[in-house]
Amino acid sequence: MRSLACLLLCCLATLAAAEPAPSAGETAYAKGDYATAVEKWSEEARTDGASAGLLSALGNAEWRLGRKGRAMVCWERALLLDPRDPVALAGIRHALNAGGTERPAMTWAENYASFLTADAWLLCATAAFWAALLCVVVPRLRRRSASEWNHRTRVIALTLLALCVPGLWGSRSLSARAVVRKADVSLRLTPTQFGEPLNGVAEGDVVRTGRPFNGHVRVTTADGKTGWVRAGEIESVRGAGLPADLDQKAAP
Amino acid sequence: MRRLFPLLAILLLGLVARAEDRVSWEITPRITAPGQPFRLQILVESDVILGGAQQAGKEIRPPRGMALRLSGQIARADSNEATINYSGVAPEQEGEYVIPTFNLRFARKMIAVPEIKLIVSKTVSYRRSSQARAELVIPDRTFYVGELIRGSIRMRGGDDEAVVASFGLESLAEGFALSVTADRQPLPEELGQGLQTTFDLTPIREGQNELSLNGTMLIQGSAFQAFGNGGRDRPFSFRRKLTVEHVPERGRPADWTGAIGTFVAEAVQVSKDRPEVGEPIRMRAILTGAGNLDRLVTPELPSSEQWDILPAQERRRHAEEQRFFVYTLIPRLPGKLLTPAIRFSTFDPATKQFGRVEFKPIEVIVTGNAPAKVDLISADPAAPADSKAKPASGLAAPQPHRASPLFRGTPSAPLAASGFFWSGNGVILVLLLALTAGVLAVGYLAAHPEIGIRRRARSVIRTALVSTSKQADRQAFALTVVRALQVGSAALLKAEEAAMTQSDVERALPGSSRALLDDLFVRAYGDRFAAGSPSADSSDDTAARELLRRLLSLL
Repeated sequence: MRSLACLLLCCLATLAAAEPAPSAGETAYAKGDYATAVEKWSEEARTDGASAGLLSALGNAEWRLGRKGRAMVCWERALLLDPRDPVALAGIRHALNAGGTERPAMTWAENYASFLTADAWLLCATAAFWAALLCVVVPRLRRRSASEWNHRTRVIALTLLALCVPGLWGSRSLSARAVVRKADVSLRLTPTQFGEPLNGVAEGDVVRTGRPFNGHVRVTTADGKTGWVRAGEIESVRGAGLPADLDQKAAP
Repeated sequence: MRRLFPLLAILLLGLVARAEDRVSWEITPRITAPGQPFRLQILVESDVILGGAQQAGKEIRPPRGMALRLSGQIARADSNEATINYSGVAPEQEGEYVIPTFNLRFARKMIAVPEIKLIVSKTVSYRRSSQARAELVIPDRTFYVGELIRGSIRMRGGDDEAVVASFGLESLAEGFALSVTADRQPLPEELGQGLQTTFDLTPIREGQNELSLNGTMLIQGSAFQAFGNGGRDRPFSFRRKLTVEHVPERGRPADWTGAIGTFVAEAVQVSKDRPEVGEPIRMRAILTGAGNLDRLVTPELPSSEQWDILPAQERRRHAEEQRFFVYTLIPRLPGKLLTPAIRFSTFDPATKQFGRVEFKPIEVIVTGNAPAKVDLISADPAAPADSKAKPASGLAAPQPHRASPLFRGTPSAPLAASGFFWSGNGVILVLLLALTAGVLAVGYLAAHPEIGIRRRARSVIRTALVSTSKQADRQAFALTVVRALQVGSAALLKAEEAAMTQSDVERALPGSSRALLDDLFVRAYGDRFAAGSPSADSSDDTAARELLRRLLSLL
């Protein structure tokens, strides 16, 4: 009993030791210095890679600074890495309810796909495909009839593959969205320089993207309006990195 | 001393006289008919060793209308004589033609050839149709700057000569742009034997411009067989003065952009006949006809209330004499819309009249909604950016180091974008399918052993057929044939090879000679049982090989 208590104590001590000290970004955020928090977390993301938690925290800081477009990109990308990230979900909910941004309603396939990440769906589908294929091929190679176990595995693998198909479809349509990054963007009738403005879309609005043409991208807004916006006015949610710095000119 | 001077003088005169070069020429025939081929032979004799002449065809300048080309020279390295041969075609007009003096350059000396005269007379009897000849085919009219003139050189064979090749086409046409479109094509059947080279000519300067075309055709005829080389070359030369003018300014439409010829508006096609509002579609207009299709400027189409029009890349097809005008159309309104009409003016050089080509619009049904009211952007640039910012009360507390047990890792790129992932899976799939196909094939062959048995039997019979064709030993011949017959019969009857007798072979090959089979079996295996075997003649060997061939055809 004594040894058990010692072991429990050790575990608790380890857990207590594992609790990290607040980082510089967290400290700055807590003090209300959001610019410093953004700077620190961005640096951390560049050196260690962007995780869902880091991106959602960065989204919060960007939102506090009034940069809706960058904040929405961070939250959307955090959700692509972890579809159940609570900070990103809360941030998007807040942006939709109180922040004046719009986001297309999720389809059933997208809701289904949110259960796992796009990579996880793809790995599941690949594993199921190979399992089903091997179950078919291996008995033929061995010139023996398939066993009961083989039949069961085959059925399970094919069922899993069928279940993965809507997940893959939903993941694809989830990543085919973009966030409006600039203020005063107009949705145009034609993809031309002097295309007729149809409607306005606000910074931070999420749109579904279609095909690109003539330096423009065809988009569909949350209320179903379709038109063209310039490619530089939106940023795709696909990607695990930080939002693009649109003010910085590209290197020659 | 007085006697010595005359002697020296005579010797000196003799030396000077020896130093003169002797040049003579001969034209065959001496008097030619207009357009008749001739040969010019120049004989040179010098006091030094001449060797071969260098670039003997360069300096000779034949008179206008005469074609002349170096066809060969006879010279020895250690000889002071040389013979230079030219082949030529007489001009079409009668008269006396003079080839001016020119130089022949040898390794050690340059020798001047005096004027050469050629008399062309209609009194000479010459059957033009018997010999090969070249003709320049080009319209006889006034041409216009920028138009496309289709011409050709027809090299027609005669009754005694055939044109087998042509080479060395040269053009001197400063006022024209010339491009050969098809070289050495066979003539149409109605024109007889021969070749033709077609070209496109585009005048680029106004005035009287001379077109000069030279070349050589290789001819073949019965008369040349005696010389042994089977053929000879014959030059041709054309000089034609062409009148070139600018397209008349009088009556020239404002939208004429250089189209000269006769054109036909073939069709208008769209990539989609039911697009949505704002969806780009491709419109392609196909123009055909004879004229300067390549030089046409794509007609400009302005945008309208119904269509926003962007220029698009066009493709050209020379062979089919077509030209495409391609545009990208973006519908601005829903409903039944007509594509914009494409019009442009043309000039017909034959009638000297301006015309107009118009592509008829086609109907396109545009779906979607019209922008009933355009919402203009009315942002106030003077307003502060965060004037309407709402309090951020719904944000959760950030957890930058939160790790989810299910979603770990920070991928730099999605797995679906990884080429390695897809190519790796693809390679494994291909290998697995190949392995399965291999195993299935082996299994099939194992289940059908007769395939392998028959294949082996065919191989044995083919080997026997080859080896028996050069076998001299009678017993070895019979043994090879009998073994092949046994293997083949066993494959057909599904029996053991060694057990096959003459009767079995007869059963496999109905109608075969029993006596021949007995003879073959006795010759092959007779020494096991009795000494000697009856000798067979060559007809039996042929019959035995025929048996093998029959058996091979049955397998």
